[in-house]
Amino acid sequence: MSHQPIEGAPLLEIEDLAVTFYTPRGTVRAVRDASLTLHRGELVGLVGESGCGKSTLAFAVMGYLPGTAEVGGSLRFEGRDIARMSEPELRELRGNRIAMVYQDPATSLTPTMRVGAQIAEVLREHLGMSAEQARERTVELFESVRLADPGAVGMRFPHELSGGQQQRVVIAMALACDPDLLIMDEPTTGLDVTTEATILDLIADLKTRVNAGILYVSHNLGVIARVADRVVVMYAGQTIEEAAVRDLFKNPRHPYTAGLLSCVPKPLAESGAVTKLTAIPGSVYPAGEEGVDACLFADRCPSVRDACRSEAPPMAPTDVGSSSRCLFWADVRPEIWATGEEREETPAANGAEEVLTAKSLRRFYGKWKRKYIFFGPRVQPPVRAVSDVDFKVGRGRTLGIVGESGSGKTTLARAIVGLVPLTGGATVLHGEELERDVDDRTRGQQAAMRMVFQNPTASLNPRMPVRHAILRSLKKFTGLNSRERRERAVELMEAVGLSAVYLDRRPDELSGGQQQRVALAGAFAGNADVIVADEAVSALDVSVQAQVLNLLKEHQREKGASYIFISHDLGVVRYVSDEILVLYAGHVAECGPADDVLAAPSHPYTEALLSAAPVPDPDAEPTRIRLEGAVPTLREAFKGCCFAGRCPRKIGPICDDTPPPARVGPSSPEHLIYCHIPVDELAEMQRSGVGLR
Amino acid sequence: MLRFLIARLSMIGVTLLVVSGVIFVVTEILPGDVAQMMLKQEATEERLAALRAELGLDRPAHVRYLDWIGGVVRGDFGDSYVQKQPISEILPRRIGHSLVLALFALALGVPVAVAAGVWAGVRPDTLWDRVVSTVGLVGISLPEFVTGVLLMLVLASTLHWLPPSSHIISGSTPLTRPEILVMPALTLTGVLFAYIMRMTRANVMEVMQTPYVRTAVLKGLPMRQVILRHVLPNAMLPTITIIATNFGWMLGGLIIVENVFSYPGLGQLLLRSIQTRDVPLLEALSLLIAATYALSNLLADLAYTALNPRIRYA
Repeated sequence: MSHQPIEGAPLLEIEDLAVTFYTPRGTVRAVRDASLTLHRGELVGLVGESGCGKSTLAFAVMGYLPGTAEVGGSLRFEGRDIARMSEPELRELRGNRIAMVYQDPATSLTPTMRVGAQIAEVLREHLGMSAEQARERTVELFESVRLADPGAVGMRFPHELSGGQQQRVVIAMALACDPDLLIMDEPTTGLDVTTEATILDLIADLKTRVNAGILYVSHNLGVIARVADRVVVMYAGQTIEEAAVRDLFKNPRHPYTAGLLSCVPKPLAESGAVTKLTAIPGSVYPAGEEGVDACLFADRCPSVRDACRSEAPPMAPTDVGSSSRCLFWADVRPEIWATGEEREETPAANGAEEVLTAKSLRRFYGKWKRKYIFFGPRVQPPVRAVSDVDFKVGRGRTLGIVGESGSGKTTLARAIVGLVPLTGGATVLHGEELERDVDDRTRGQQAAMRMVFQNPTASLNPRMPVRHAILRSLKKFTGLNSRERRERAVELMEAVGLSAVYLDRRPDELSGGQQQRVALAGAFAGNADVIVADEAVSALDVSVQAQVLNLLKEHQREKGASYIFISHDLGVVRYVSDEILVLYAGHVAECGPADDVLAAPSHPYTEALLSAAPVPDPDAEPTRIRLEGAVPTLREAFKGCCFAGRCPRKIGPICDDTPPPARVGPSSPEHLIYCHIPVDELAEMQRSGVGLR
Repeated sequence: MLRFLIARLSMIGVTLLVVSGVIFVVTEILPGDVAQMMLKQEATEERLAALRAELGLDRPAHVRYLDWIGGVVRGDFGDSYVQKQPISEILPRRIGHSLVLALFALALGVPVAVAAGVWAGVRPDTLWDRVVSTVGLVGISLPEFVTGVLLMLVLASTLHWLPPSSHIISGSTPLTRPEILVMPALTLTGVLFAYIMRMTRANVMEVMQTPYVRTAVLKGLPMRQVILRHVLPNAMLPTITIIATNFGWMLGGLIIVENVFSYPGLGQLLLRSIQTRDVPLLEALSLLIAATYALSNLLADLAYTALNPRIRYA
């Protein structure tokens, strides 16, 4: 498919595009030099890290840039330059010939309008349909994006739909006028893996059904591998490599592409050994800088030569039919990045001293109390966010916790640390039962357990230099005097790979990765025994994510700290964890040694999560298990298995009526699967793929 | 919904009860009483005592309060000390006058202010935005008696377009001579305009930045439709609260405007009841004004609910 000759003139031709924003705070060169072509019937993936200019490029194609933007080069849609079109001409194209699907469907739909009306107005505007025709066509569109109950969905408001349903509505809206060009800007980024998988299926299917060219923007290589025919990689506002999808993943011809590929945690190798992740050192060439006559990647490139710094490389064809903006593309191979280092074997679980034990942890939200004393709405029973979760974490080991959003991961983390008090159960640290509220715990206990949050920007005080956050932790949790604290702060910053000058910067002067490393330095400050990391790398770019993950591993090796690592990204969890706990609707679905949990037999929910995770390999077998819907909100103790409602392997009424027994996995007594299906049957089903509903 | 309404209405009842108590206590603490005010220089101890007995002022405070509040519940606010007639006969006409003026001012001011706010919010930092914002600031900075007197000088004394006084001759209503409403309403609009315009402008600017407005623009819809369908309903939500609060103020708090134009509304009556220590009238008016505030807030919440599908009361 990728090498199919494509006939006719290209649908979209972008040549030497440059977009510069002149803002009061300085000039931002969002796109410096980008070229790409897109033909009808083709899906081109545009991939790159945050700040590389890929979204600016996408919006430039819509003709949607703020008035302060200056556009250079050309952007031709069917031969007409979009950047030079008038507002009425653009209006004629937008939503009609060129349509867009956005990153966050929840905020991309008008909250005060019914979704059907939001689609109907496109049809009425561009196709001049009557209200009745528009309504009928809307139902057809809803059917075509496989929305359940297409006749009734249109009467709902956006907040009454799940994230996946909202994105289907946005896609239906984009398809309304049979556009020639479809732009998808990170359409699955805000969604759960399970939902992402269903939306990707839909997009893969659309590709064959609609006769449009699709430009698919994403930072996620796994997603790109799944849907794209051709891929364009962007770095610092430049397109740096363009290749057919298979060539890009197998034979990258730019060092940056090769680096990106090795940053992504790979599926478990046959040997079970995990290689250390590659981290691309340094950070992206700043968008504020004027371009130079040099390769913009030179400062981070492992195989940089003198020539790279004295001339700007042009986009040049390579041996595999791709093009690369590297002077020495012929020398690019994965080995320039891979350190070849294998993950050190951590001591076996039973040998490790137990640090933290959770005993039937429970956290319910809400109380049986009326809003007004006598009147007011009848209050619903409390939400059972976490019900009876047990686990143990050994010294120097990592427990990974996975599950979709709404499965109770964050509540569990917060309850352990004491940010929300437990409703029942106990957390035991070093044999001592901890108070439920963090304020009631001793200094020593507080120092021993620290938390790192998902969003470092929100967890650092924006008005204070970052020194403040680290010094405060040191002051609170160590007996050092102020001179020693200052010295220690420098050491901590160096330990997280930042030089001491960063201590005096304010958070907004640091990149997301740097901020997260500062947050880690703060967590390391008190020599914590347990660090609870709640989606600590989820907001970071892959190259930076690899830096932070390596840092965490290194710290663990040196200090013997234990981690509770929460993430929705199975690849990342697999990379860091010794044990894994799979959480669903606040209940443990499966837990045990990481390798056992991720290999068959596993709980049908784990299986579905694994199946949904996109793999950065275009040759990967498309998987078949898809979960629809979302994690239920439990308000009452569930009679049966709480996954029964969505389980693709549900066996009958027993799943609804009886709590699932804990079944012991075949390879380890610690591997527990809470399922009605016996372990060996489960293993057989998963090997042969039978028994799916 | 019904449950919500019952709950809110009973909360309003409780609020009013507390308000009535506070008003009663305050009037008790104030020095001097009605008897003294009424008799002025003729006040001798005997005549004072006689008048107090006649008005029932010699009874203990809590007895008088309970007596009064009992009457209020039955719709009997007692008699005005000064006008010597039942308050429930004085009030309706005045309420009518105030209501007419308030609605007239709202009908004049709100659409203009909202339109100006949208106009400015869609094109922030342009000349038009500056002009509109400055006009709003001037309106809010000038005290009502200044704007009122200025209007009178220009429209009545110089141009003779409108009558200088908004006095209502007995037997007629404001609706028979609507021209008398224009100047007070304009004065009120001056104050309202700034509040509502600035609020609308800020909200429109915020909503214009949202991804859903971007979606609407990139659907290829004309700007008019984007603003009317996608921006306005969302930007109006916080503005509604402001309008409702102002409605309460316009019904009961127009002491200055009504006096400048001698318009016989509730504000004028309130001022007179204070000057004459007409405690029953003052109490009735205060209670009425508190009820207006509470009810207009309830109305605002209901309007908010109607416009915002994300909020549904159980």
